[in-house]
Amino acid sequence: MSATTLESSTSYPEELLVQRLRDRDESAMTLFYDKYSAALYGVILRIVKKEEIAEDVLQEGLVKIWHSFQFYDSSKGRLFTWVLNICRNLAIDKIRSRQYRVGTRMTPLEDSGAMHQAASSGFQPEHIGLQEITNQLNPEQKQVIDLLYFGGFTQSEVAEELDLPLGTVKTRARAAIKVLSKLIR
Amino acid sequence: MDIQEYIESGILEQYALGELPAVEQAEVERLSAMHPAIRQELDSVIEALSGYAAQYAQTPPADMRNRVLAGWKAAIDADAVAPVPVAAPEPVVRSISSAPVEEAAPAAPRFNWLMAASIAFLLLSVGINFLLYSKWQNAETSLAAVESDRSLLAASHMAVEKRLGDQTNELSVLRSDEFRTVALNGTPAAPKARAKVLYNPNTRTVYVDVRSLPEPPAGKQYQLWALDNGKPVDAGVLDYATASGESLQHMKDIASAQAFAMTVEDAGGSPTPTLSTMTVVGNI
Repeated sequence: MSATTLESSTSYPEELLVQRLRDRDESAMTLFYDKYSAALYGVILRIVKKEEIAEDVLQEGLVKIWHSFQFYDSSKGRLFTWVLNICRNLAIDKIRSRQYRVGTRMTPLEDSGAMHQAASSGFQPEHIGLQEITNQLNPEQKQVIDLLYFGGFTQSEVAEELDLPLGTVKTRARAAIKVLSKLIR
Repeated sequence: MDIQEYIESGILEQYALGELPAVEQAEVERLSAMHPAIRQELDSVIEALSGYAAQYAQTPPADMRNRVLAGWKAAIDADAVAPVPVAAPEPVVRSISSAPVEEAAPAAPRFNWLMAASIAFLLLSVGINFLLYSKWQNAETSLAAVESDRSLLAASHMAVEKRLGDQTNELSVLRSDEFRTVALNGTPAAPKARAKVLYNPNTRTVYVDVRSLPEPPAGKQYQLWALDNGKPVDAGVLDYATASGESLQHMKDIASAQAFAMTVEDAGGSPTPTLSTMTVVGNI
């Protein structure tokens, strides 16, 4: 325990963390939590919108990450990308379940608690700042990308929801990702 | 194929957002493994999205850390005790459309170990119930057997009691000085017939004790008469058991008599004796 508290978790090298998780080192999960929980929790909360559910999903995500760690292939991508995907999928599964769909689906993201939270410390590898992103993405692009990424919508569902031609949605999504890609690079 | 056209078709974005069906997803993976340009574009799309997602990072409440880590530990410990099927490989992206819709969404893992414990408890409880039920059934069966044995025993005990009571009574009659023994001998109609009457004039009590009497015809019974100054007085009919000599029989009270006799009468007795059927007679 003392070893883990002495280590600075956010700067703990990813390769070492991966190695320890691969070795089924349970204490590594504490490091993992300290390194990634803010990023994962932020995304989950933005998807599920309720703190207690976000907590459940995060815990569920840790269990799933632990159990399927043997399938993580570092040659195919960063650990963060892989675990983010697991947590996003779990969160989207949650909001696509029937009881969740009733009523909450079209709650504007800006009304959710997530928008009013203070920016956090923790894992922010490419910290550009939301402000800059919002400046670069036009509102239409941002709306589409948010529905796709945080809303669990498919492009066709977005087209239906916003009453737009599917082609327009595809164009906006691709343009948005291009902008983000430039900012992050 | 035109790689640039493929990249610009938007399919890589769909892949990264996880909305492609499994077949198309596999196709994207196959092509990106073949063409570095596709792979590079795909990586950049995935990086862009995860980079965007990371902008929303939000430190969870401080008290959540222990809860979530403890919940995680409990869940993996429970899974280690009751192993879950090996988790399916999680690809970098997964089709949203393949995500379980409706309530098929997996339960929160916080409850997984609780669930495992509940199921274990349920199974245990079912097992114990079954065991107790079969034990109870066995007990029920043996109890019924014992009950029936007991009631048989009680019945036979009662019968023995009664016979003992009767015989004690008979013995006291036989040993009593107050009873006079009146020997009844066979008439010419039944020369071998023999019976005895025990008579206590003080208490007017009469017992009859048969040694040997011919079997009465069907529908007929022996009836005892007391002769008082030549007048026959009904002393009651003899039970079958009495007539066959099994035991003494307490007859009707007789105030005064000088002789006793038995006749064969219709079953149930007759108000007057049929003299022609007189079988035994004897004077006091």
